[in-house]
Amino acid sequence: MSSYGSVLPTAARGLLSSCRNPLRDASIAPVLSNFQQVRGLKNKPKKGKEQPTKSRKGPQEFRQINLKDMPQYSLCDAMRYIRAIEVGREPTVQKYELHIRLRTKRDGPVIRNMLRFPHAVQTESRICVICPPGSKAAKEALAAGAVLVGEQEVFDAVKAGTIEFDRCLAHPDSLPALNKAALGRILGPRGLMPSVKTGTVVEDVAARVEMLRGGTVYRERDAVIRLPVGQLGFSPEQLRDNMRVTLDQIKKDASALTDRVNKEVYEVVLSSTNGPGFSLNGEFRTENSPPTSALTGM
Amino acid sequence: MVNLFKRLRKLETMLQTKIGTGAAIFPSISSASKEFPAVTRLHLTYARKIDQGHGGARHFWRKCLPRLKYHNPGVPMTVAQTSNQQGPAALTIYFAERVGSAATALANEKKVKDELAPAPEANEQSAVLDIKNRTYQQIWDRVQAMTGAKVVPVTPDDIALQHKLSEIKKKAGPDRQRVQAIRQAKKDQERMLAEARGQVEKQV
Repeated sequence: MSSYGSVLPTAARGLLSSCRNPLRDASIAPVLSNFQQVRGLKNKPKKGKEQPTKSRKGPQEFRQINLKDMPQYSLCDAMRYIRAIEVGREPTVQKYELHIRLRTKRDGPVIRNMLRFPHAVQTESRICVICPPGSKAAKEALAAGAVLVGEQEVFDAVKAGTIEFDRCLAHPDSLPALNKAALGRILGPRGLMPSVKTGTVVEDVAARVEMLRGGTVYRERDAVIRLPVGQLGFSPEQLRDNMRVTLDQIKKDASALTDRVNKEVYEVVLSSTNGPGFSLNGEFRTENSPPTSALTGM
Repeated sequence: MVNLFKRLRKLETMLQTKIGTGAAIFPSISSASKEFPAVTRLHLTYARKIDQGHGGARHFWRKCLPRLKYHNPGVPMTVAQTSNQQGPAALTIYFAERVGSAATALANEKKVKDELAPAPEANEQSAVLDIKNRTYQQIWDRVQAMTGAKVVPVTPDDIALQHKLSEIKKKAGPDRQRVQAIRQAKKDQERMLAEARGQVEKQV
């Protein structure tokens, strides 16, 4: 301290010694910093305020792998491998899966939608619609192919433990009755409880039933959209049609979000229930591919 | 999405569906002869467990059928797994028009009846091979003798890749031990520190 004392004026010396005192520096330090630089003061934490720590967040975007080293296949070649690996399995049970990697930010809205394939992947799903019995919506839902329509009878059946449907929709008019019946405990864990959030409470029940019957729900998770696109018995043409529809729809979904975030398709991978993932190069077939008739059926 | 290196390694193991036992091409309609007519279909039936000699049949499905399917994508191959251990383990080979003499001889060694195999169509003839108590290699030798399948030659590229993968596999053992030692040393250090701290706290 003595070395400072000999150089600095008295007032500054007093300030300097006081600012070394941790009890008082909070009030004095800002005043001091205005006119004089003091060693060590800059790094002292201010009380009460958050410290300007290093940002612990990672990069804003998902890291994109460089596809330079990744072998990419044409659709027919990938199908040939997948069919070889899945040999001897039930062709209607095993599915081709599509994994679509997006270039996108880590936060922000995600793609979440439903689509209808030209060649249905799932065998028909059974749909239950909760709406006032005898109403116009009920009639339309039945016409669209719902297996179970009604209010009280549905609740009774569910409470009795007979759930003979894979999807459940509700009309807004029935929502109070549905909430009163307290089925959340039974339907909730199965993912069947209708709610506005998941888009299963809708006015136009019939249209949604129509959509769900051949439709597939997909959503983006960690920048990847995964969805089944075909049964193993599909021909390359059928699979191509389904994939084309999927990619078109996803591009449309992405462009609907362009005002908020920018999303684009980065990589498309074809996989199957038991198989590895093949990165696709966008071509249909190469010279060495077998004829498409050979890649159909069992 | 899964890490790129994992995906790459998995794809490299796809080599196993291209080369090895069973990587052969069946005679097709164009390359069929009188002795070896074209193969139109295959059907395999075996029981779920390996008792009563069903093990080789399952290995045949796991190892040889993918290779056969890769090299003969147009030949439908079906597998039926039963829970009847006493039942037959049989491979039914369907030929176009007629069955060759070698196939007939091998099929007649021990006759079995496979009820799960689909019936041959009008222009097909089938030969049923008993594969109980046989290894997959033995089964494959018989299939090859029956059908006259031509083994696909291994390309130099495949050999190079195979060599590379085996080198990696060889290196993996020592690497695993080395990393294990590092991890163990770190754990020991931490444990010793924790013990020392515990003693100090007790004294205080």
